Amino acid sequence: MEYFDIQFMNLTEDDIALKKATHKFAEEVMRPTAKALDTMSAEDVVADGSPLWTFLKKAYELGYHKTLLPEYYGGLGLSPLQVHIVFEELGWGSFGLSVLLGVICFPFYVSCLAGNEELIEKYVKPFCACTDASIRGCWAITEPDHGSDYIASGEDYFTTPKMHGNVQARLEGDEYVINGQKSAWVSGGTIATHALLFLQLDPKHGFGGNGICVLPLDLDGVTKGKPLEKIGQRDLNQGEIYFDNVRIPKSYMLAEPTFYEPLLEMILASANMIMATWSTGIARAAFEEALVYSKERVQGTRPLIEHYAHKQRVFKLFARTEVIRAISRNVLNLNLNVSPPLAEYSLVAKSQCTEMAFQNAHELIQIMGGNGLTREYIAEKLFRDARATLIEDGNNETLERHGGHILAETYPRPPLDF
Amino acid sequence: MAIFTKKVAEELFGELWTRMIKDYGFGKSLKESGISIYFVVSDPDMVMFVDENGPIFGTEAEKKMPVVTMKMKGDIVHKFWLKDLNVPMALALRQIVAKGPVNKVLQLLPLMKPGMEIYPEYCKKFKLPMKA
Ligand SMILES: Cc1cc2nc3c(=O)[nH]c(=O)nc-3n(C[C@H](O)[C@H](O)[C@H](O)COP(=O)(O)OP(=O)(O)OC[C@H]3O[C@@H](n4cnc5c(N)ncnc54)[C@H](O)[C@@H]3O)c2cc1C
Repeated sequence: MEYFDIQFMNLTEDDIALKKATHKFAEEVMRPTAKALDTMSAEDVVADGSPLWTFLKKAYELGYHKTLLPEYYGGLGLSPLQVHIVFEELGWGSFGLSVLLGVICFPFYVSCLAGNEELIEKYVKPFCACTDASIRGCWAITEPDHGSDYIASGEDYFTTPKMHGNVQARLEGDEYVINGQKSAWVSGGTIATHALLFLQLDPKHGFGGNGICVLPLDLDGVTKGKPLEKIGQRDLNQGEIYFDNVRIPKSYMLAEPTFYEPLLEMILASANMIMATWSTGIARAAFEEALVYSKERVQGTRPLIEHYAHKQRVFKLFARTEVIRAISRNVLNLNLNVSPPLAEYSLVAKSQCTEMAFQNAHELIQIMGGNGLTREYIAEKLFRDARATLIEDGNNETLERHGGHILAETYPRPPLDF
Repeated sequence: MAIFTKKVAEELFGELWTRMIKDYGFGKSLKESGISIYFVVSDPDMVMFVDENGPIFGTEAEKKMPVVTMKMKGDIVHKFWLKDLNVPMALALRQIVAKGPVNKVLQLLPLMKPGMEIYPEYCKKFKLPMKA
């Protein structure tokens, strides 16, 4: 449905064209692909001939895999508002497929953030030039024994030796040798060709002794787990990655311990503000479904929308969508325009926007009554997909604790008055 | 103590940027990428604006509308040109704070490389330490 943009006075012709083109892709390619994948087994989702591959190829041909990357290296070079416009539409099409496209670019995006020229030449430029979806990244951070605590850099235990990472690397000459396993939650994990891999380099400093590298997944010693079955975002492939004496050049280590925590913070700030932009899409999808259904469904002799009490319920979905959009756009605009990003705002955006998007999906089911629970409508899928967002990219409680830690350490924050 | 005086800094960076623009195609790169930069330096306190037309300082620079603004101390500037600074780390640690599109900031680093090659000549000329 055409959805009015509160910032319409600031939209250029290019912005409007971008929005229309992305919406067309979301409606005609993403929605049907996501619907088909949702009913398939996790293994079939990534099997040869799966609609996933046709979707990815189309997405790469249109450049959606490189939305965030600098134009200079072959990325789309979009303004923050344009990035939001694209991600909102993609989130509307499917949250799971949006996440897949997001993690696909992560090793390459972070190579740019870390300014690693060797990796930019070797991997980022080919990734940007790729149109057949043959180069695909993933973000391998959590481990079977480490979820929330992998990102809890503000907690007192973070830098103690008791924090023993599963994936470890040791330096041998000019190479790092890597061993261990990442969790079954690595998005895109079983189909990725490259990983942005978080690992431990110096266990005596706990996770303060960690590092971040880019690792091509075709190296000897890399194996993958089985695709994970789960209730939401079933179109998002996930699975373990195992490392058995995998060797990478030392130069592939984007961050060693001195740079680890600052880069972790920058990565979390990026990932979380993007989760918020996709939430705009899923919240809007729920609002639109509620409105359409409320006009169709007749109870008490007239459509639901004509019952006065019902109007308030639909309005609430609209209101949340607008609040989510306002917060996520503002934060994206802030953090794509200041370096380093102000992570607390990304944490506000992720925790609040995903909560509100989930409320929309939850309320949509209630508005639709029994029909909301059936597979005939998209409502139950939006609900399952939105539920996962409260955990994905960090449990919201963990992110809020971390946000509180930033406030305690840095506030009152002086203005950026220059 | 400041690594250079304001007077030396203005003279040195005036020459350095002008040469990068004239001899190394830096002006063209800036123009093509739509980048102009405003530097706010402390210790010594100075401001500089650069676009494809060259560098300007002080109140003239203050009047400009830059695409990217970068704030840092004088010793960080010196370390940068000596290739002694990990810029992404300096940004992450707030030794440099930048305002303006992140993608343009990332793009600036490779563009400024030629200046790093000729900076030691200016260190010699202005008697600056070659180690940060
Ligand atoms: C859809 C989806 C996509 C994902 N994608 C990726 C990916 O691409 N890459 C990747 O590596 N991982 C990924 N993850 C994993 C995700 O980051 C983790 O699930 C998340 O960080 C939480 O970790 P956990 O599941 O181990 O829960 P736990 O950390 O075990 O937390 C369980 C509960 O305990 C609470 N808790 C934890 N620690 C504390 C504490 N110190 N104090 C109080 N309460 C606490 C939490 O809030 C939570 O409620 C994904 C997850 C999902 C659901």
